[in-house]
Amino acid sequence: MHRHPPTNPNAPEAVLVENVHKRFGPLEVLKGVSLTAREGDVITLIGSSGSGKSTLLRCINMLEVPDEGRIVIGGEAIGLKRARGGQTVPADSRQVDRIRTRLGMVFQSFNLWTHMTILENVIEAPVHVLGVPKAEAVDRARKLLDKVGILAKAESYPVQLSGGQQQRAAIARALAMQPKVMLFDEPTSALDPELVGEVLLVIRQLAEEGNTMILVTHEMGFAREVASEVVFLHQGRIEERGPPDRVLVNPESDRVRQFLSRHLSGAG
Amino acid sequence: MNWELMWDSVPTLLRGVPVTLQLVGLALLFGAAVAFAVALLRLYGNRVTERLMAAYVFVFRGTPLLVQIFLIYYGMGQFELVRSSFLWVYLREPFWCAILALTLNTGAYTSEILRGAILSVPQGQIEAARACGMSRTLLFRRIVMPVAIRQMLPAYGNEVILMVKASSLASTITLLEITGIARKIIAQSFAVFEVFIVAGSIYLLLNFLASRLIRYAEWRMTPYLRARG
Repeated sequence: MHRHPPTNPNAPEAVLVENVHKRFGPLEVLKGVSLTAREGDVITLIGSSGSGKSTLLRCINMLEVPDEGRIVIGGEAIGLKRARGGQTVPADSRQVDRIRTRLGMVFQSFNLWTHMTILENVIEAPVHVLGVPKAEAVDRARKLLDKVGILAKAESYPVQLSGGQQQRAAIARALAMQPKVMLFDEPTSALDPELVGEVLLVIRQLAEEGNTMILVTHEMGFAREVASEVVFLHQGRIEERGPPDRVLVNPESDRVRQFLSRHLSGAG
Repeated sequence: MNWELMWDSVPTLLRGVPVTLQLVGLALLFGAAVAFAVALLRLYGNRVTERLMAAYVFVFRGTPLLVQIFLIYYGMGQFELVRSSFLWVYLREPFWCAILALTLNTGAYTSEILRGAILSVPQGQIEAARACGMSRTLLFRRIVMPVAIRQMLPAYGNEVILMVKASSLASTITLLEITGIARKIIAQSFAVFEVFIVAGSIYLLLNFLASRLIRYAEWRMTPYLRARG
Protein backbone atom coordinates (compact mmCIF):
# COMPACT_ATOMS: atom_id res chain seq x y z
CA MET A 1 0.00 0.00 0.00
CA HIS A 2 1.27 3.44 -0.91
CA ARG A 3 2.17 5.71 1.96
CA HIS A 4 2.71 9.42 1.79
CA PRO A 5 6.28 10.40 2.70
CA PRO A 6 6.58 12.06 6.10
CA THR A 7 6.76 15.82 6.41
CA ASN A 8 9.98 17.33 5.16
CA PRO A 9 11.02 19.62 8.02
CA ASN A 10 13.01 21.82 5.67
CA ALA A 11 10.22 22.54 3.20
CA PRO A 12 8.83 26.08 3.30
CA GLU A 13 5.67 26.66 5.30
CA ALA A 14 2.67 26.79 2.97
CA VAL A 15 0.06 27.34 5.66
CA LEU A 16 0.63 28.43 9.20
CA VAL A 17 -2.24 28.57 11.67
CA GLU A 18 -1.37 30.12 15.01
CA ASN A 19 -3.50 29.91 18.11
CA VAL A 20 -6.79 30.34 16.25
CA HIS A 21 -9.96 30.90 18.24
CA LYS A 22 -13.41 31.02 16.69
CA ARG A 23 -16.70 31.64 18.40
CA PHE A 24 -20.23 31.34 16.99
CA GLY A 25 -22.29 33.27 19.49
CA PRO A 26 -21.80 31.65 22.87
CA LEU A 27 -20.27 28.54 21.32
CA GLU A 28 -16.49 28.45 21.11
CA VAL A 29 -15.78 26.16 18.18
CA LEU A 30 -12.00 26.59 18.07
CA LYS A 31 -10.11 27.10 21.32
CA GLY A 32 -6.61 27.90 20.22
CA VAL A 33 -5.52 25.68 17.37
CA SER A 34 -2.11 25.79 15.72
CA LEU A 35 -1.14 23.96 12.59
CA THR A 36 1.67 24.00 10.07
CA ALA A 37 1.46 22.64 6.56
CA ARG A 38 4.77 22.56 4.75
CA GLU A 39 4.97 22.29 0.99
CA GLY A 40 4.17 18.75 -0.06
CA ASP A 41 2.34 17.94 3.15
CA VAL A 42 -1.00 16.20 3.13
CA ILE A 43 -2.65 16.91 6.44
CA THR A 44 -5.93 15.24 7.27
CA LEU A 45 -8.14 16.70 9.94
CA ILE A 46 -10.30 14.17 11.67
CA GLY A 47 -12.63 14.23 14.64
CA SER A 48 -16.30 13.82 15.42
CA SER A 49 -18.82 16.32 14.10
CA GLY A 50 -18.70 19.57 16.01
CA SER A 51 -15.02 19.13 16.80
CA GLY A 52 -14.20 22.23 14.74
CA LYS A 53 -12.32 20.60 11.87
CA SER A 54 -14.40 22.20 9.10
CA THR A 55 -14.32 25.56 10.84
CA LEU A 56 -10.55 25.32 11.08
CA LEU A 57 -10.31 24.60 7.37
CA ARG A 58 -12.63 27.52 6.58
CA CYS A 59 -10.54 29.84 8.74
CA ILE A 60 -7.53 29.15 6.52
CA ASN A 61 -9.14 30.88 3.53
CA MET A 62 -11.14 33.33 5.63
CA LEU A 63 -14.57 31.91 4.85
CA GLU A 64 -14.68 32.14 8.62
CA VAL A 65 -12.69 34.95 10.18
CA PRO A 66 -10.90 33.83 13.35
CA ASP A 67 -11.67 35.85 16.47
CA GLU A 68 -8.07 35.49 17.60
CA GLY A 69 -4.89 34.11 16.18
CA ARG A 70 -2.96 34.38 12.97
CA ILE A 71 -3.15 32.79 9.54
CA VAL A 72 -0.04 32.94 7.37
CA ILE A 73 -0.23 31.71 3.78
CA GLY A 74 3.08 31.20 1.98
CA GLY A 75 4.82 33.56 4.38
CA GLU A 76 2.18 36.28 4.07
CA ALA A 77 0.14 36.96 7.20
CA ILE A 78 -3.52 37.80 6.60
CA GLY A 79 -4.20 41.21 8.13
CA LEU A 80 -7.08 41.27 10.58
CA LYS A 81 -8.64 44.12 12.49
CA ARG A 82 -11.46 44.72 14.93
CA ALA A 83 -14.65 46.13 13.47
CA ARG A 84 -16.78 48.59 15.42
CA GLY A 85 -19.06 45.79 16.59
CA GLY A 86 -16.06 44.07 18.18
CA GLN A 87 -15.88 41.20 15.70
CA THR A 88 -12.70 40.52 13.75
CA VAL A 89 -12.71 41.31 10.04
CA PRO A 90 -10.04 41.21 7.34
CA ALA A 91 -8.10 44.46 7.29
CA ASP A 92 -7.91 44.42 3.50
CA SER A 93 -10.44 42.44 1.49
CA ARG A 94 -8.21 42.67 -1.58
CA GLN A 95 -5.44 40.88 0.27
CA VAL A 96 -7.88 38.13 1.21
CA ASP A 97 -9.12 37.86 -2.40
CA ARG A 98 -5.54 37.63 -3.61
CA ILE A 99 -4.56 34.99 -1.06
CA ARG A 100 -7.67 32.96 -1.86
CA THR A 101 -6.51 32.62 -5.46
CA ARG A 102 -3.60 30.59 -4.07
CA LEU A 103 -5.88 28.31 -2.03
CA GLY A 104 -8.12 25.89 -3.88
CA MET A 105 -11.21 24.88 -1.95
CA VAL A 106 -13.38 21.82 -2.49
CA PHE A 107 -16.66 21.73 -0.61
CA GLN A 108 -18.75 18.93 0.78
CA SER A 109 -21.70 19.85 -1.44
CA PHE A 110 -19.61 20.67 -4.56
CA ASN A 111 -21.09 24.17 -4.94
CA LEU A 112 -20.72 24.26 -8.69
CA TRP A 113 -22.32 27.28 -10.35
CA THR A 114 -25.53 25.79 -11.66
CA HIS A 115 -26.07 28.30 -14.46
CA MET A 116 -22.76 27.47 -16.14
CA THR A 117 -21.56 24.39 -17.97
CA ILE A 118 -18.80 22.33 -16.39
CA LEU A 119 -16.23 23.92 -18.68
CA GLU A 120 -17.53 27.40 -17.86
CA ASN A 121 -17.29 26.55 -14.17
CA VAL A 122 -13.65 25.61 -14.57
CA ILE A 123 -12.57 28.64 -16.63
CA GLU A 124 -14.63 31.20 -14.70
CA ALA A 125 -12.13 32.19 -12.02
CA PRO A 126 -8.96 31.86 -14.12
CA VAL A 127 -10.46 34.18 -16.76
CA HIS A 128 -12.23 36.68 -14.54
CA VAL A 129 -10.07 36.67 -11.44
CA LEU A 130 -6.59 35.93 -12.77
CA GLY A 131 -7.10 37.41 -16.23
CA VAL A 132 -5.94 34.32 -18.10
CA PRO A 133 -6.81 34.58 -21.83
CA LYS A 134 -9.93 32.56 -22.52
CA ALA A 135 -8.40 30.22 -25.11
CA GLU A 136 -5.59 29.36 -22.74
CA ALA A 137 -8.01 28.82 -19.85
CA VAL A 138 -10.19 26.54 -21.97
CA ASP A 139 -7.14 24.56 -23.00
CA ARG A 140 -6.04 24.11 -19.42
CA ALA A 141 -9.58 23.34 -18.27
CA ARG A 142 -9.93 20.55 -20.80
CA LYS A 143 -6.68 18.99 -19.60
CA LEU A 144 -7.90 19.16 -16.01
CA LEU A 145 -11.29 17.71 -16.87
CA ASP A 146 -9.49 14.92 -18.67
CA LYS A 147 -7.33 14.36 -15.64
CA VAL A 148 -10.33 13.97 -13.34
CA GLY A 149 -12.03 11.81 -15.97
CA ILE A 150 -15.00 13.94 -17.02
CA LEU A 151 -13.85 15.63 -20.21
CA ALA A 152 -16.90 14.15 -21.93
CA LYS A 153 -19.07 16.22 -19.60
CA ALA A 154 -17.42 19.56 -20.40
CA GLU A 155 -20.51 20.99 -22.10
CA SER A 156 -22.98 19.54 -19.59
CA TYR A 157 -24.56 21.43 -16.74
CA PRO A 158 -23.97 20.44 -13.13
CA VAL A 159 -27.51 19.01 -12.73
CA GLN A 160 -26.75 16.48 -15.43
CA LEU A 161 -23.83 15.00 -13.49
CA SER A 162 -23.76 12.46 -10.69
CA GLY A 163 -22.48 13.61 -7.32
CA GLY A 164 -19.11 12.00 -7.91
CA GLN A 165 -18.76 13.68 -11.29
CA GLN A 166 -19.79 17.02 -9.82
CA GLN A 167 -17.19 16.72 -7.10
CA ARG A 168 -14.52 15.86 -9.64
CA ALA A 169 -15.57 18.92 -11.64
CA ALA A 170 -15.29 20.99 -8.47
CA ILE A 171 -11.78 19.64 -7.94
CA ALA A 172 -10.90 20.60 -11.53
CA ARG A 173 -12.33 24.06 -10.88
CA ALA A 174 -10.11 24.48 -7.83
CA LEU A 175 -7.04 23.15 -9.67
CA ALA A 176 -7.62 25.55 -12.56
CA MET A 177 -6.39 28.36 -10.33
CA GLN A 178 -3.07 26.50 -9.95
CA PRO A 179 -3.29 26.88 -6.19
CA LYS A 180 -0.36 26.45 -3.84
CA VAL A 181 -2.55 24.58 -1.37
CA MET A 182 -5.73 22.55 -1.80
CA LEU A 183 -8.32 22.56 0.95
CA PHE A 184 -10.89 19.75 1.01
CA ASP A 185 -13.90 20.03 3.28
CA GLU A 186 -15.35 16.53 3.62
CA PRO A 187 -15.24 16.02 -0.14
CA THR A 188 -16.96 12.64 -0.09
CA SER A 189 -19.48 13.06 2.73
CA ALA A 190 -22.35 14.04 0.43
CA LEU A 191 -21.77 11.19 -1.99
CA ASP A 192 -23.47 7.85 -2.37
CA PRO A 193 -21.12 5.13 -1.14
CA GLU A 194 -20.51 3.75 -4.63
CA LEU A 195 -19.35 7.19 -5.84
CA VAL A 196 -16.85 7.84 -3.04
CA GLY A 197 -14.11 5.80 -4.65
CA GLU A 198 -13.87 7.79 -7.87
CA VAL A 199 -13.40 11.05 -5.95
CA LEU A 200 -10.85 9.58 -3.54
CA LEU A 201 -8.93 8.27 -6.52
CA VAL A 202 -8.54 11.81 -7.88
CA ILE A 203 -7.54 13.20 -4.49
CA ARG A 204 -5.05 10.39 -3.99
CA GLN A 205 -3.49 11.16 -7.36
CA LEU A 206 -3.10 14.82 -6.34
CA ALA A 207 -1.45 13.74 -3.10
CA GLU A 208 0.98 11.49 -4.94
CA GLU A 209 1.89 14.34 -7.29
CA GLY A 210 3.19 16.25 -4.30
CA ASN A 211 0.41 18.84 -3.93
CA THR A 212 0.08 20.47 -0.58
CA MET A 213 -3.31 19.58 0.80
CA ILE A 214 -5.35 19.94 3.94
CA LEU A 215 -8.23 17.55 4.04
CA VAL A 216 -11.16 17.17 6.38
CA THR A 217 -12.43 13.63 6.05
CA HIS A 218 -14.25 10.76 7.66
CA GLU A 219 -12.54 8.20 5.44
CA MET A 220 -10.03 6.80 7.92
CA GLY A 221 -8.54 4.22 5.61
CA PHE A 222 -7.99 6.90 3.02
CA ALA A 223 -6.50 9.29 5.58
CA ARG A 224 -4.03 6.62 6.55
CA GLU A 225 -2.92 6.14 2.98
CA VAL A 226 -2.58 9.70 1.75
CA ALA A 227 -1.71 11.71 4.85
CA SER A 228 1.72 12.86 5.89
CA GLU A 229 0.18 13.96 9.15
CA VAL A 230 -3.11 13.26 10.86
CA VAL A 231 -4.58 15.85 13.22
CA PHE A 232 -7.36 14.80 15.56
CA LEU A 233 -9.57 17.58 16.86
CA HIS A 234 -11.78 17.30 19.87
CA GLN A 235 -14.04 20.11 21.07
CA GLY A 236 -12.04 22.83 19.39
CA ARG A 237 -8.61 21.63 20.47
CA ILE A 238 -6.01 19.38 18.92
CA GLU A 239 -6.15 16.16 20.87
CA GLU A 240 -3.46 14.31 19.03
CA ARG A 241 -1.34 14.73 15.93
CA GLY A 242 1.31 12.72 14.18
CA PRO A 243 2.06 10.36 11.32
CA PRO A 244 -1.02 8.37 10.26
CA ASP A 245 0.46 5.01 11.18
CA ARG A 246 0.74 6.17 14.76
CA VAL A 247 -2.38 8.29 15.26
CA LEU A 248 -4.67 5.95 13.36
CA VAL A 249 -3.17 2.69 14.59
CA ASN A 250 -1.65 3.30 18.00
CA PRO A 251 -3.06 6.55 19.32
CA GLU A 252 -1.97 7.81 22.71
CA SER A 253 -5.30 9.42 23.49
CA ASP A 254 -8.27 7.36 24.64
CA ARG A 255 -10.59 9.75 22.81
CA VAL A 256 -8.87 9.01 19.53
CA ARG A 257 -9.03 5.31 20.29
CA GLN A 258 -12.78 5.52 20.95
CA PHE A 259 -13.32 7.60 17.83
CA LEU A 260 -11.40 5.12 15.71
CA SER A 261 -13.23 2.13 17.08
CA ARG A 262 -16.44 3.78 15.92
CA HIS A 263 -15.12 4.85 12.51
CA LEU A 264 -12.61 2.25 11.52
CA SER A 265 -14.86 -0.76 11.56
CA GLY A 266 -14.12 -2.64 8.40
CA ALA A 267 -11.76 -0.03 7.01
CA GLY A 268 -8.03 0.46 7.32
CA MET B 1 -75.39 43.41 -28.58
CA ASN B 2 -74.36 45.77 -31.34
CA TRP B 3 -71.91 43.71 -33.39
CA GLU B 4 -71.36 46.36 -35.98
CA LEU B 5 -70.37 48.94 -33.40
CA MET B 6 -68.07 46.45 -31.78
CA TRP B 7 -66.39 45.72 -35.07
CA ASP B 8 -66.09 49.41 -35.91
CA SER B 9 -64.52 50.24 -32.57
CA VAL B 10 -61.62 47.82 -33.13
CA PRO B 11 -59.42 50.04 -35.33
CA THR B 12 -60.09 53.08 -33.15
CA LEU B 13 -59.17 51.20 -29.99
CA LEU B 14 -56.09 49.74 -31.62
CA ARG B 15 -54.86 53.28 -32.08
CA GLY B 16 -54.44 53.35 -28.30
CA VAL B 17 -52.06 50.39 -28.33
CA PRO B 18 -48.88 52.42 -29.05
CA VAL B 19 -49.60 54.71 -26.08
CA THR B 20 -50.27 51.73 -23.82
CA LEU B 21 -47.06 50.07 -24.98
CA GLN B 22 -45.08 53.26 -24.43
CA LEU B 23 -46.47 53.63 -20.93
CA VAL B 24 -45.73 50.02 -20.05
CA GLY B 25 -42.39 49.85 -21.81
CA LEU B 26 -40.94 53.04 -20.38
CA ALA B 27 -42.31 52.38 -16.90
CA LEU B 28 -40.84 48.86 -16.91
CA LEU B 29 -37.51 50.18 -18.14
CA PHE B 30 -37.24 52.98 -15.58
CA GLY B 31 -38.86 50.76 -12.96
CA ALA B 32 -36.17 48.12 -13.47
CA ALA B 33 -33.48 50.72 -12.84
CA VAL B 34 -35.28 51.93 -9.71
CA ALA B 35 -35.79 48.35 -8.53
CA PHE B 36 -32.15 47.50 -9.04
CA ALA B 37 -30.97 50.52 -7.06
CA VAL B 38 -33.52 50.00 -4.30
CA ALA B 39 -32.78 46.29 -3.92
CA LEU B 40 -29.03 46.96 -3.72
CA LEU B 41 -29.46 49.74 -1.18
CA ARG B 42 -31.68 47.52 0.93
CA LEU B 43 -29.36 44.55 0.80
CA TYR B 44 -25.94 46.11 0.88
CA GLY B 45 -26.49 49.69 2.03
CA ASN B 46 -26.19 51.08 5.52
CA ARG B 47 -28.99 51.26 8.02
CA VAL B 48 -30.21 54.65 6.77
CA THR B 49 -30.56 53.69 3.10
CA GLU B 50 -32.06 50.38 4.12
CA ARG B 51 -34.79 52.11 6.16
CA LEU B 52 -35.42 54.72 3.48
CA MET B 53 -35.84 52.13 0.77
CA ALA B 54 -38.04 49.97 2.98
CA ALA B 55 -40.23 53.03 3.57
CA TYR B 56 -40.45 53.71 -0.15
CA VAL B 57 -41.49 50.14 -0.86
CA PHE B 58 -43.98 50.24 1.99
CA VAL B 59 -45.64 53.43 0.72
CA PHE B 60 -45.81 52.54 -2.96
CA ARG B 61 -46.99 48.98 -2.41
CA GLY B 62 -49.39 50.00 0.30
CA THR B 63 -51.31 52.74 -1.54
CA PRO B 64 -53.50 52.40 -4.64
CA LEU B 65 -51.85 53.21 -7.94
CA LEU B 66 -54.81 55.42 -8.79
CA VAL B 67 -54.13 57.56 -5.73
CA GLN B 68 -50.46 57.77 -6.68
CA ILE B 69 -51.37 58.90 -10.19
CA PHE B 70 -53.72 61.57 -8.87
CA LEU B 71 -51.20 62.80 -6.30
CA ILE B 72 -48.52 63.17 -8.94
CA TYR B 73 -50.72 64.66 -11.66
CA TYR B 74 -52.87 67.00 -9.55
CA GLY B 75 -50.59 67.36 -6.55
CA MET B 76 -47.18 68.25 -7.94
CA GLY B 77 -48.36 71.43 -9.64
CA GLN B 78 -49.29 72.89 -6.27
CA PHE B 79 -45.66 73.39 -5.37
CA GLU B 80 -44.01 76.49 -6.70
CA LEU B 81 -40.67 74.69 -6.42
CA VAL B 82 -41.84 72.03 -8.87
CA ARG B 83 -43.45 74.53 -11.23
CA SER B 84 -40.33 76.65 -11.43
CA SER B 85 -37.94 73.73 -11.92
CA PHE B 86 -37.00 72.05 -15.18
CA LEU B 87 -39.06 69.09 -14.03
CA TRP B 88 -42.22 71.03 -14.80
CA VAL B 89 -41.64 70.52 -18.50
CA TYR B 90 -42.36 66.85 -17.82
CA LEU B 91 -44.63 66.95 -14.82
CA ARG B 92 -47.25 69.11 -16.47
CA GLU B 93 -47.66 66.42 -19.11
CA PRO B 94 -50.13 63.70 -18.11
CA PHE B 95 -48.03 61.20 -20.08
CA TRP B 96 -44.94 61.73 -17.94
CA CYS B 97 -46.99 61.88 -14.75
CA ALA B 98 -48.39 58.46 -15.61
CA ILE B 99 -44.90 57.17 -16.43
CA LEU B 100 -43.62 58.48 -13.11
CA ALA B 101 -46.43 56.89 -11.11
CA LEU B 102 -46.16 53.57 -12.93
CA THR B 103 -42.37 53.61 -12.60
CA LEU B 104 -42.41 54.22 -8.87
CA ASN B 105 -45.11 51.62 -8.42
CA THR B 106 -43.48 48.84 -10.42
CA GLY B 107 -40.08 49.85 -9.03
CA ALA B 108 -41.32 49.10 -5.52
CA TYR B 109 -42.76 45.70 -6.43
CA THR B 110 -39.87 44.68 -8.65
CA SER B 111 -37.29 45.64 -6.05
CA GLU B 112 -38.87 43.13 -3.71
CA ILE B 113 -38.92 40.44 -6.39
CA LEU B 114 -35.26 41.14 -7.11
CA ARG B 115 -34.30 41.29 -3.45
CA GLY B 116 -35.92 37.91 -2.85
CA ALA B 117 -34.20 36.47 -5.90
CA ILE B 118 -30.81 37.74 -4.77
CA LEU B 119 -31.36 36.28 -1.30
CA SER B 120 -32.32 32.94 -2.82
CA VAL B 121 -28.97 32.47 -4.58
CA PRO B 122 -27.52 29.40 -2.85
CA GLN B 123 -24.95 30.33 -0.22
CA GLY B 124 -22.70 27.50 -1.32
CA GLN B 125 -22.32 28.96 -4.80
CA ILE B 126 -21.44 32.33 -3.30
CA GLU B 127 -18.87 30.74 -1.00
CA ALA B 128 -17.33 28.87 -3.92
CA ALA B 129 -16.91 32.19 -5.73
CA ARG B 130 -15.38 33.85 -2.69
CA ALA B 131 -13.05 30.92 -2.23
CA CYS B 132 -11.78 31.48 -5.79
CA GLY B 133 -10.79 35.01 -4.86
CA MET B 134 -13.66 36.84 -6.54
CA SER B 135 -14.15 40.38 -5.31
CA ARG B 136 -17.59 41.42 -4.11
CA THR B 137 -18.44 43.21 -7.34
CA LEU B 138 -17.19 40.42 -9.57
CA LEU B 139 -19.07 37.88 -7.50
CA PHE B 140 -22.22 39.95 -7.81
CA ARG B 141 -21.84 40.42 -11.55
CA ARG B 142 -20.84 36.88 -12.47
CA ILE B 143 -22.67 34.68 -9.99
CA VAL B 144 -25.37 36.46 -7.98
CA MET B 145 -27.05 38.51 -10.71
CA PRO B 146 -27.17 35.82 -13.43
CA VAL B 147 -28.73 33.38 -10.97
CA ALA B 148 -31.04 35.97 -9.42
CA ILE B 149 -32.38 37.26 -12.73
CA ARG B 150 -33.27 33.75 -13.85
CA GLN B 151 -34.82 33.11 -10.47
CA MET B 152 -37.00 36.25 -10.62
CA LEU B 153 -38.35 35.79 -14.14
CA PRO B 154 -41.59 33.97 -13.29
CA ALA B 155 -42.52 36.53 -10.65
CA TYR B 156 -41.42 39.36 -12.89
CA GLY B 157 -43.64 38.03 -15.67
CA ASN B 158 -46.52 38.52 -13.29
CA GLU B 159 -45.42 42.08 -12.70
CA VAL B 160 -45.28 42.80 -16.44
CA ILE B 161 -48.83 41.55 -16.85
CA LEU B 162 -50.01 43.62 -13.91
CA MET B 163 -48.35 46.68 -15.47
CA VAL B 164 -50.12 46.19 -18.79
CA LYS B 165 -53.41 46.23 -16.92
CA ALA B 166 -52.39 49.02 -14.54
CA SER B 167 -51.58 51.28 -17.47
CA SER B 168 -55.34 51.58 -18.05
CA LEU B 169 -55.47 53.87 -15.00
CA ALA B 170 -53.61 56.48 -17.03
CA SER B 171 -56.93 57.11 -18.76
CA THR B 172 -58.06 58.89 -15.61
CA ILE B 173 -55.64 61.70 -16.29
CA THR B 174 -56.78 62.29 -19.88
CA LEU B 175 -54.38 59.91 -21.60
CA LEU B 176 -55.82 58.31 -24.70
CA GLU B 177 -54.43 54.84 -24.41
CA ILE B 178 -56.70 51.82 -24.96
CA THR B 179 -58.99 52.46 -21.99
CA GLY B 180 -59.00 56.23 -22.57
CA ILE B 181 -60.15 55.75 -26.14
CA ALA B 182 -62.73 53.21 -24.99
CA ARG B 183 -64.21 55.71 -22.56
CA LYS B 184 -64.30 58.33 -25.28
CA ILE B 185 -66.19 56.03 -27.65
CA ILE B 186 -68.58 55.09 -24.85
CA ALA B 187 -69.25 58.74 -24.05
CA GLN B 188 -70.50 59.15 -27.62
CA SER B 189 -72.22 55.79 -28.18
CA PHE B 190 -73.20 54.61 -24.67
CA ALA B 191 -72.18 51.11 -25.80
CA VAL B 192 -70.41 50.29 -22.54
CA PHE B 193 -70.60 46.55 -22.89
CA GLU B 194 -69.50 46.24 -26.52
CA VAL B 195 -66.61 48.67 -26.33
CA PHE B 196 -65.17 47.36 -23.09
CA ILE B 197 -65.34 43.80 -24.39
CA VAL B 198 -63.19 44.84 -27.32
CA ALA B 199 -60.84 46.86 -25.09
CA GLY B 200 -60.57 43.93 -22.67
CA SER B 201 -59.78 41.58 -25.55
CA ILE B 202 -56.94 43.82 -26.68
CA TYR B 203 -55.44 43.73 -23.18
CA LEU B 204 -55.85 39.98 -23.17
CA LEU B 205 -53.98 39.73 -26.44
CA LEU B 206 -51.20 42.02 -25.21
CA ASN B 207 -50.80 39.96 -22.06
CA PHE B 208 -50.83 36.75 -24.02
CA LEU B 209 -47.88 38.09 -26.00
CA ALA B 210 -46.18 39.40 -22.84
CA SER B 211 -46.45 36.06 -21.05
CA ARG B 212 -45.14 34.25 -24.13
CA LEU B 213 -42.20 36.63 -24.28
CA ILE B 214 -41.35 36.02 -20.63
CA ARG B 215 -41.72 32.27 -21.08
CA TYR B 216 -39.35 32.44 -24.03
CA ALA B 217 -36.82 34.49 -22.04
CA GLU B 218 -37.06 31.94 -19.24
CA TRP B 219 -36.53 29.10 -21.67
CA ARG B 220 -33.55 30.81 -23.29
CA MET B 221 -31.88 31.68 -20.01
CA THR B 222 -32.21 28.35 -18.23
CA PRO B 223 -30.66 25.67 -20.44
CA TYR B 224 -29.42 24.07 -17.24
CA LEU B 225 -32.99 23.43 -16.10
CA ARG B 226 -34.01 21.99 -19.44
CA ALA B 227 -30.94 19.77 -19.33
CA ARG B 228 -32.19 17.98 -16.27
CA GLY B 229 -33.49 14.46 -16.58
